[in-house]
Amino acid sequence: MDVEPPTNYSDSASMQSNSEYSDAECEPHIDENEYFHDTEREHNEIAHSVISEIREGLTPGTQNASNGINGKNANTSTNVHKSVSAESLPISNSTSTVSGEIVNSLSAATLDEGDDDDAQFDYMHDSVWRGQKKHIFILSEAGKPIYSLHGNEDKLATLFGVIQALVSFVQHGQDAITSIHAGGIKFVFLVRNTLILVAASRTNMSVAQLQLQLSDVYNQILSTLTNKHVTRIFEKRKNFDLRRSLAGSERLIYHLLSNDSSNKRVTNNVFTFLTNSIRVLPLPTTVRASIVSGIQSNCSKIKDLVFAVLIANNKLISLIRMKKYSIHPADLRLIFNLIECSESFKSSENWTPICLPKFDMNGYLYAHVSYLTDDCQACLLLLSVDPNVFFTLSDAKRRITDKLRSTKSLEAISREIEKPTNGGLNLTAIGIPELRHFLYKPKTAAQLLCSELMPPYTTLKEFERLEGIYCDLLHRIHNSTRPLKLIYEVHEREVVLAWVTAAYELYAVFEPLVDKCAVIKNVDKLIKWIEKEYDVFFIRNHPTF
Amino acid sequence: MATRKKSLLKVIILGDSSVGKTSLMNQYINKRFSNQYKATIGADFCTKEVMADDRVVTMQIWDTAGQERFQSLGVAFYRGADCCVLVYDVTSPNSFKNLDSWRDEFLIQASPRDPDHFPFVVLGNKVDMDNRQVSTRRAQQWCQSKNDMPYFETSAKDGTNVELAFQTIARNALAQEAEVELYNEFPDQIRLNTDRNNRNGNADNCQC
Repeated sequence: MDVEPPTNYSDSASMQSNSEYSDAECEPHIDENEYFHDTEREHNEIAHSVISEIREGLTPGTQNASNGINGKNANTSTNVHKSVSAESLPISNSTSTVSGEIVNSLSAATLDEGDDDDAQFDYMHDSVWRGQKKHIFILSEAGKPIYSLHGNEDKLATLFGVIQALVSFVQHGQDAITSIHAGGIKFVFLVRNTLILVAASRTNMSVAQLQLQLSDVYNQILSTLTNKHVTRIFEKRKNFDLRRSLAGSERLIYHLLSNDSSNKRVTNNVFTFLTNSIRVLPLPTTVRASIVSGIQSNCSKIKDLVFAVLIANNKLISLIRMKKYSIHPADLRLIFNLIECSESFKSSENWTPICLPKFDMNGYLYAHVSYLTDDCQACLLLLSVDPNVFFTLSDAKRRITDKLRSTKSLEAISREIEKPTNGGLNLTAIGIPELRHFLYKPKTAAQLLCSELMPPYTTLKEFERLEGIYCDLLHRIHNSTRPLKLIYEVHEREVVLAWVTAAYELYAVFEPLVDKCAVIKNVDKLIKWIEKEYDVFFIRNHPTF
Repeated sequence: MATRKKSLLKVIILGDSSVGKTSLMNQYINKRFSNQYKATIGADFCTKEVMADDRVVTMQIWDTAGQERFQSLGVAFYRGADCCVLVYDVTSPNSFKNLDSWRDEFLIQASPRDPDHFPFVVLGNKVDMDNRQVSTRRAQQWCQSKNDMPYFETSAKDGTNVELAFQTIARNALAQEAEVELYNEFPDQIRLNTDRNNRNGNADNCQC
């Protein structure tokens, strides 16, 4: 295996295309003295008073706060902040320091052992609530609660107030708060448009990975309301309670967030999110080709039809698109999420507006959603910009189903869906007994191939460890300040490998006792196997209508 | 969903230092159960659930503290408030005079949509004390001149009128909220334009 020298991604490119990895979770060097030398006198004074104020309210010695605030990392800020924070480094330094102090106050508030009489009603002093591995909070710029993953957000209104104060305070210094590291918890902030999203996590995810998750959640909100609507609401009334508009779609946010081990799930689904990709339902090329032509032939004449998406088991079967348009994996994940948590789609035809933020964050696409047949649980979405074409699309769906039945495609899909190894590739097919699990993502497509979860990773505890290994590998490989091409490590309980070439990214976990030669031989075998079967597991090009 | 949505009101308490803003809040909150939390970063945050007009309303109370030092944070704290409570000390004429600037400051910083009808409530605190210096009439006149703001004389110490004042605060804020229903407008249709560069197209690793 050749190790190529690491190349630096250009900032602008990584911001656009790989924004999920653009933040290197590097600990910025913050010099206390630097802060006091700050020439911005006015700013200094404000900061001073805040610090002293905070100190007064501090419970001494409860938390060991670090100053790991990536406040000045321009890459991860929203667009507005990028330019600002890049120009104001001295200020951001001081702000970070100040926020580091605030950390104490926040963590003291949320983590302090409470001997309050009201404990049973008070989440912040509730051990179950505080013991959650991951919290997600969404609030308006005014500090009004919109969503909390755990607990009644109304009861957490004070916490939301504190979050708003933190965000605003750093904003006041022409900067943006990115993360706070304290007490073994990462607090990650994402300020988008008029919303503030915060993750508080004890999980293995890096700041960048948590930000991607927050950005997925933000997209989910836009998917329901559109950016234009959210903006307009808050333009008109800053005090608007967005829960009124989101009522009924909390389940979508919850489901989106519940794919990982923090929610006690043992599933490969989390890896699609971590690699910003989707998975493809393996099918023989001839079958997929005939499915595509079955859809094409019945849709090509429909005006304003932008996408036809066929999915099953959280995997893509085929995607046919209008010329010049493509779907971003983040948008596809929203579609998968919608299908996954809408049982009602199974029993009837549906017509639903859906905003795909990466496609157009300000408008709705109108989706005809239905499962193909009772005996083939694949779900077809026909997405148009025209809100009045339900019957046209309903008709097209019927014809597509007939066509797929006559070409025996339905059977082929069902056969694949019903395979017991659903959830990943069965490794015994390849014949590498030392390989325990792998992720493979080609460079040319945001598609992921991963192997079935096998013992030992089928228990929650071990899966959590596996998840942690991949989080760590992905984080280091995609570190924007020092991206790596190859990682080979012998851990106590497994040998891990991450390898990036011009053609693919591979992450693999082996038995602990294999030697380097065996790993190289096995990887070689795996890659050859994948290349041979490539068209079964991946879709090279998404055809147009 | 079908259930009547819960309401959350953001209430800002403003006024000179030592007029008793925090004491008022404590009197109000601690009389009954509340999940209380204090963080002294320019403001205290408290939450209280109240019944107003047959609805359960969560009041998120922002008690601004040591305000002169935190003037710069004004926008942040005032943004999106549903009601503003102006507090002065009846034994301190200065604190009464300053209400004008507190009110103006709030309207400038928060820039509510309809400043003339934004719900303010004025509280003259410390009526339990003997050395009163601002007369009820004077205060009432001022309140009337400012679009008839409701006025209460309170004592954070013995609880006089505190409950009543906060009830009014909740009700007035709710009334304001009810006026605007959801902004349901028909969204614009996405315009497909074959010239349009799909903004994420062709970027590495971005297409599925």
